[in-house]
Formats: sequence, structure tokens, C-alpha cells
Amino acid sequence: MTAETVLRAVAPDAETRAEVLRVEGLRVTYRTEDGDVSPLTNFSLTIREHEVVGLVGDAGSGKSTAALALMGVVRPPGRIASGEVYFGGEDLLKKDEDEVRQLRGKDIGIIVQNPRGALNPMLRVGTQIGNVYRAHNQVGRGDAAARAVDMLRKVGINDPERRVAAYAHELSGGMAQRALIAMALSSNPRLLIADEPTSGLDVTIQAQFLDEMWDTVQETGSAILLITQDLGIIANYCDRVAVLHDGEIVEDKPVREFFANPEHAYSQSIMALQREVASDRTEARQSMHSEAEVTTEAHLVDIAKLTKNFPIRGSDKVVQAVQSVDLEIREGETLGLVGESGSGKTTVGRCLLRLEEPTSGAISYRGEDISGISKRDLRSFRSRMQIVFQDPFDSLNPRWTVGRVLREPLDLHTTLSRAEKVARSRELLEMVGLSPDILDRKPKGMGAGAMQRLNIARALASNPEFIVLDEPTSVLSPSAISELITLLRRLQDELGLSYLFISHDLTTVKYLCHRVAVMYLGQVVEVGTVDQIFNSPRHPYALALLSSHLFPDPAHRRVDHREPDALSGEIPSPVDLPVGCYLAGRCPHATDRCRAEPQVLERLADGRMSRCWRVSAGELEAAP
Amino acid sequence: MLTRYVFRRVAIGLIQLFGLVIAVFFLIRLLPADPVSRFVGLNSSEEAYAQAERNLGLDRPIMTQLGHYLGVLPGEGEGLLQGSLGTSWVTGTAVSTEIAQALPVTLELLTLAFFFALVLSVPIGMLAAIRPGGAADKGVFVYSLFAGSQPEFWWGLLFVYLFFFTWGVAPAPLGILSPLTSAPPDVTGFVLIDSLLAGRPDVFLEAAHHYMLPVATMVFILSGPIIKMVRQNMVRALGSDFVLYARCAGLPKWRVALYALRAAMAPSMTLIGILYGFMLGGAVLIESVFSLGGLGQYAIRSILAFDYPAIQGVILVITAISLLVYLALDLIHAVIDPRVTF
Repeated sequence: MTAETVLRAVAPDAETRAEVLRVEGLRVTYRTEDGDVSPLTNFSLTIREHEVVGLVGDAGSGKSTAALALMGVVRPPGRIASGEVYFGGEDLLKKDEDEVRQLRGKDIGIIVQNPRGALNPMLRVGTQIGNVYRAHNQVGRGDAAARAVDMLRKVGINDPERRVAAYAHELSGGMAQRALIAMALSSNPRLLIADEPTSGLDVTIQAQFLDEMWDTVQETGSAILLITQDLGIIANYCDRVAVLHDGEIVEDKPVREFFANPEHAYSQSIMALQREVASDRTEARQSMHSEAEVTTEAHLVDIAKLTKNFPIRGSDKVVQAVQSVDLEIREGETLGLVGESGSGKTTVGRCLLRLEEPTSGAISYRGEDISGISKRDLRSFRSRMQIVFQDPFDSLNPRWTVGRVLREPLDLHTTLSRAEKVARSRELLEMVGLSPDILDRKPKGMGAGAMQRLNIARALASNPEFIVLDEPTSVLSPSAISELITLLRRLQDELGLSYLFISHDLTTVKYLCHRVAVMYLGQVVEVGTVDQIFNSPRHPYALALLSSHLFPDPAHRRVDHREPDALSGEIPSPVDLPVGCYLAGRCPHATDRCRAEPQVLERLADGRMSRCWRVSAGELEAAP
Repeated sequence: MLTRYVFRRVAIGLIQLFGLVIAVFFLIRLLPADPVSRFVGLNSSEEAYAQAERNLGLDRPIMTQLGHYLGVLPGEGEGLLQGSLGTSWVTGTAVSTEIAQALPVTLELLTLAFFFALVLSVPIGMLAAIRPGGAADKGVFVYSLFAGSQPEFWWGLLFVYLFFFTWGVAPAPLGILSPLTSAPPDVTGFVLIDSLLAGRPDVFLEAAHHYMLPVATMVFILSGPIIKMVRQNMVRALGSDFVLYARCAGLPKWRVALYALRAAMAPSMTLIGILYGFMLGGAVLIESVFSLGGLGQYAIRSILAFDYPAIQGVILVITAISLLVYLALDLIHAVIDPRVTF
């Protein structure tokens, strides 16, 4: 990236730049049996040249409806009831359908949330890109095909000559997303609308992808409307933030101002976690840890050489999901388990509770080995160890009332009378901040955040000491995430709980955890305190993971000081793993010894453990 | 890959057919029917009855009868395994010869009917899907309810009354060729094809003229469900994310429509196959009204006469054709939709 583009991105003369798009009073209405519903009521927004505008809002706030409506498109059976959308000085809602069609895909490109669904499943990717290009440019089939190859190469797809012949179902989510952006940018649009372009992508790929999108748009001089729920993306890539709430823009500010001083109540609620943590809580977390480290006897859970293989049907090979993992969880602490999808972190959590049977290894709870005991003896341990799953919708029976959901663990683990169970259920609901009056209601219609609270209340019913939290925030909106993290911390303080917090979202890990273990391809590659891992990661993979994570801090924007990508190449398959270090194929520091020797987890001088001989030998210095 | 798949499907089909032959063979004999007295009459002498029973082979143990039918008994002539469907008890002609006469008529009728039904129904279904609840959609709904709710022979009779009797634009419902026309030499069995092969356009036109009303009747009946199905699949395709995205990418309207149509047609293939297989035997009412002498009529005649070899032959042929049609449609489905793998 050149110095010029940096200047352009942060240039102060934002107000004087030419307008690309100006929306005024846009209202979208759906006719339903219960009357008209309007996801957008009064949407107004201006986007100028070279600007990256972030649009945030909760699920259901109308973000995706807005994205489509800006191009004059509404999902059937909705319609645009009123408003103006000025693009290039003309109101495109007043143009006839064919004129607007020529703008779409040519001057305004769009990337949507579900890239594989947005690609035609029956046509080759190259043909589809070619069709879009030919719709806006007077070229033949051959030129369009060549353009498709060019575009795929431009968005960073390896081997584009081969990939143009692929169908959507043959592409990974990241690849499909790139194909979509290739299509959206093929005619050099002046405005790119990106609706949650990285949802479902792993962090290292997400950062790479957003960097590429940012670069491409900077090169072509377009503007971007970036719709997301992720404050990290906003802070790192956007110049301005617009907050959508109940179908209206309620706040619209430069990004730094927004993070420093959110005004609207909704903005404040999504920023609550950052602001609270920024004040004092992180300090408390770290100091508590160093005490815990001294009293090494007080381990609640010890995992030794835990291994889990999944056999592949019709083959002698196995997927090595977890390999010889050693971890301990101390009383009253939160251990974070982080890594990309497929790293085995969820399997570790499931093996801990024996929801999956470990292939080998020992798990002890308060010194007692539970990896081999019978299912019946396990039950008494189950009341002390609970789990909260990723998807709050799937983990609640939609036909049960809230009362019945909470009564089930009470029936299993307690001998309370009926009246006592009701009283206990009400108490549990209050503990997680839900109204006790919802006992007779069904979970249907509750928001994801409230459902996840209910799941936590259910986990708490048996008075556990230890809870495995398996990505509990991954489907929640930013405000629900910050509420849930605050709740988990409060419960830990009040009840003295210990957590294993499994997550790929490093921001929440940083706020909730005392210690962090980083996993890669079934192995723990580094374990240390939050401070050690977040401020001076040593293992090259931990370093790469941290550097690609987007922290919601507009003072250190990724686009302002770009570092070269720490890792390259593809993740090896967990079926055929390399002999030596698993990262050797992607690591910039790899030597022949790395490729030949399996790596072991070794304790470093500062107390952390790392799985890299070069780190142990002091050859790789900590990042400044 | 493809040839292996086709080979496997055909092999499985043969096994299915064999199972069906065995099942039908026994099921027919479970009927509370006495084919022998059907031939010699209820008041025949015991000798005549025994003689007839011997002639039909029904006096032998049932497993021997099966062996004879399959052609595995040494020195007993050809059976199913040698490609013979046996001899009709009623006419004494080979069943295969009789089916070869009846089948082409039915196939011609069905193929023409399905062709025109599709040509008509697909655009109408698309039109209805563009604006669900709109005027076109409502009209289609009323039509498919109206056409489908009344039996086909009634429509056939009504059409005969109107087009032949009242307006005189259609020929009398008496077969495909008038008795005075000499039929073209039998090459394929299909009159429309044979007449062209023989260089007799006059016969072709005459046959086409005679096919007009029965085909129109079937199109009238068939298009109801096909329109409904195309409409449903089309509505779903038009609401899908990739069609929405195609609109957002500014593709021309006709291209968006093609995207949706292709997605809608893939699942429709299955239903069309099922309808075709069903109609092979189910076109009997139309065949009867227009005296076409097709396979359905042959099947009914054989059943009423307890003509066991003929019944078995008809079932076998209908099943075999259905299996082939299903296979062909699965292959077409795979061509339309690359997600289908073998």
C-alpha cells in the first residue's frame, strides 16, 4: 500500500468530497396478514467518494433490507413505500426498471451474507461472472471469460484458470465470497455494498479478505458501505459509522468519534463492554491470575494427553481432531481456548464432559480420574460440570415451556419438592437477568441473547462448579454479546464458578479469561496468561492469530499500518498431518529441523508454554 | 462414471423387473378367479373342463407353471428368459406381437400429449409465478382446479361432442386411420413415423388429424398439475438468494428468468417421470373414448378375460418403460443440475 492511499483513507476533508450516494427517508414495507411491516422506516445516509462507511445494527434492524433497497431491490413481496435514493445526482427510484438495472452491478456492486446461496448453483462460477460482465459491457463470450479469470486472480484466488470451471457447491465459503466480490467488482463500480462479507470466515482469512477488498477499492477509487455487527471490522476498516436501529439511522459519525463518544442509547449498549473493560476490569483479571499460578495444587480439572480421533467411513484413516492435549483449569478461573474452525477446541470441551469418548488420555476432576468411569458414576459429576452450547435455538426444545426447560435438570440432580423447584427456577431466571414471569412461556420469540441466558440458567440449575462455554456468543448481536459476557463475569464473581471458554472471538476472550490456550490442528501450541498471549505472543501461530484479529480499537487501525501476512499457504488436512511441526508449511520461520521434528510443548522462562523449538531456543524474539 | 451409473441402474432395474415378475405371477393366481371356466363356460362337462385346464397348463404344480413361464424347464419351448412373453389364452397370438401393436399408439399419444402439455404449461406456470396472487395466478388456479376435478373420459366425450359432432373440425373418434386408408408398412410400429418413412404424407396428416382430439384432451388434463408444479418450483426459485443476487448484479430480465427456470425445471423432472409412468396404463379412458386400441385398452381386455400371460406381459412392459423413463429423466436432471452426482 502506498502512502498516498493512507492519506486518502484518513484525509480530513471528508465533507468536501463528491457524493456518491445520498438516501433520504427511505421506507420499505412488507404486506403481511397482520398488516404492513416496515423494516426500514426512515433511512437516510450519504456516502462520498473514497469513503468506507460502516453500518451497524442488531439482527432485524433492517441492515440487509437497506443494502438491497439502495439498489432499488426489495425481496418479494416487499416494496419501497417512499424515499429517494440519489446516485450520480439522479433519483434511481424514479428511473424505469431498465435504467436502474444498468446501474446495478455496473456502478453499484453488492456482496451479500450468504455467498454460496447467492451464486447460481447450476452455472460455473466463471460463466456467472462473465454473464454479469456482459450485461454491462459490449463484449463477446471470450472476452467475458478472460475477464472472469482476471477478476478471480485479482481477488486472490489461486489457480483462477481452473476455478472458473467450478460450481458454487465445490467452493469453500471463503472462496465463494471471493467469487462474489469478483463479480461485484468486475465492472469497476463506484459504490460497493458489502453486507456482512466475512460472516462465517475464520479470522486469518477474514483479515486477508477485508485487506484485499480494501485494497481493491482504494485502487479503483470507489466507496464502500460495509454492513457488519463486528465492531472490530468497523474500527479497523471504516472511516465513518452509521448506526441503524428500528429502521432508522440514529447516529452517524467519524469512526474515532464514535468509539470515543457514542451518543445514542443503542450505540452505548454495543460499546458497553469496551468501555467497562477499558476502565478497570482487565487489571483485576490479570492480578487474580498471578496469585492462582502460585497455588498449583488447586486444579479443578486436569487434562493429560487427551487424544480424540474420528474414524472416516470406508477408510482406515482417521481425522485427528485432538492430539495429546495437556491443560489444567484452576478453581475460580476462566481458561480461554481459542483457534480457528477445525482446530479441535470444541472436541476438547466435549471430551471433558464425556459427551464424546476420548480415544486416549486422562481427565481428572478434583484429582479423581473421570475418563474411564461408568456412565452411572458419571452422573454425579455431571451435576458439577455443565455445558452451554453455541446455538441457543438448537439447544432448547421449542415445544417446552421455560419452566419445563429449567425443571429437567432439577428433576435429574435434586430431590426438591415441586414448589421448591418452581421457586428455584424463578431464582435461576433472576440470576441470569431474565424475568421470573416467563416460566410459562415458550422459548419461541425470545431473542438469541435471552435464549442463551436461559441456557445458562439451565446449566446453573444443578449448582455446578465448572461450566464449559462452547462459543456461546457466536450467534449473538454485539449488544447481546456484551450483556452475556458481563453476566458470565458477574456469575463467576458471585458463585465462584470456573469456566472453559471456547471461542474464536478474541475480543470476548480478552475480557473474560485469565489464561488462554491457543490450538492449531488438534494441538495446543501456546498457553499463557491473557497478558502474555495478547500482548506478546511467541509461537508463530499465536502471533498470526492475534495479528489477524480485529480489535475494536480505532486508534490502531489495521489499514493504517499494515504488516505483511504472517502466514501463507493452506492449512494441512487433519487426516494427513505432516511429520514435523504442523505449521512448518505456512510459517515464515520454518527450517529443515521444523519439518523433520515433531514439536513439544515446553515451558518458557516467563511461565507460559509454547510448542516451538525456535521459541524455546530464544531464536524468535517476542514482538515489540 | 456416467456409463457405470447407467449400467448399475439398468442392472438394478432388471433385478426389480425379475422380482416383479415373480410377485405378479403369484398374485394373479391368488385372485378368486377361475380362468378355465371363463373359456369353457360354466356348464361344461368335467372332461372338457379338465381338457381346457390341461391346455392352459393350469393343472400342473404352481412351481412348474412358473418354470414354464420363465423358460427354465428343458424341452418346453421358450419362456421369459428367452425373450418370449408367452401366448395369449384368448387369441392364441404371441403376447409380444399384440403388445407391439398396442404400445406404439399409447407411446405416440403420451409423447405428443406430454410435449404439448409442457410447451403450454411451462410458460403459463412461469407467468403465474411472476406475480403470486395476481390475475394470471388466479386464472391458473381456477383452470387447474377445473380441468383436474372432472374425469378425463367426460372431457373426451365433451370434446367429441363439440369438435366432431357440433363443429365438425375433428374426425370421428374411431381409431387412428380410417378403415379405407391402407396402413403404411410396419417399420417402427409408430404410424406417424412409418407414414413418413413410406413417403405417405397423406397418411401422416390423417393420423395427426385423428390424434388431435385425444392429445388435446390429455393436454387439457395433464397441463393442470404440470402448471401447478412449474408455478410452485418457479415461485421458490424466484424467491431464492441467487435470483435476488442476479437482479442485484443487473442481469437482464430474460437472463434472470432463465436462471430461475433452470432451477425450477430440475425438480419438475421427477414429477413428469412419475406422471408419464402412471399414464402408460392410465390413458385407458382416453384410448377407449377414441377407440385407439392402445396398451391401456389391451390391459383392460386381458384382465377381464383372465388372460394371465397377457396381464403379466403388460405389467412387465409398462414397468420396464417406466424404469427407462425414470432413468432418462434422472440423467436430464443431472445435466440441468451439476450438484447431482452419480
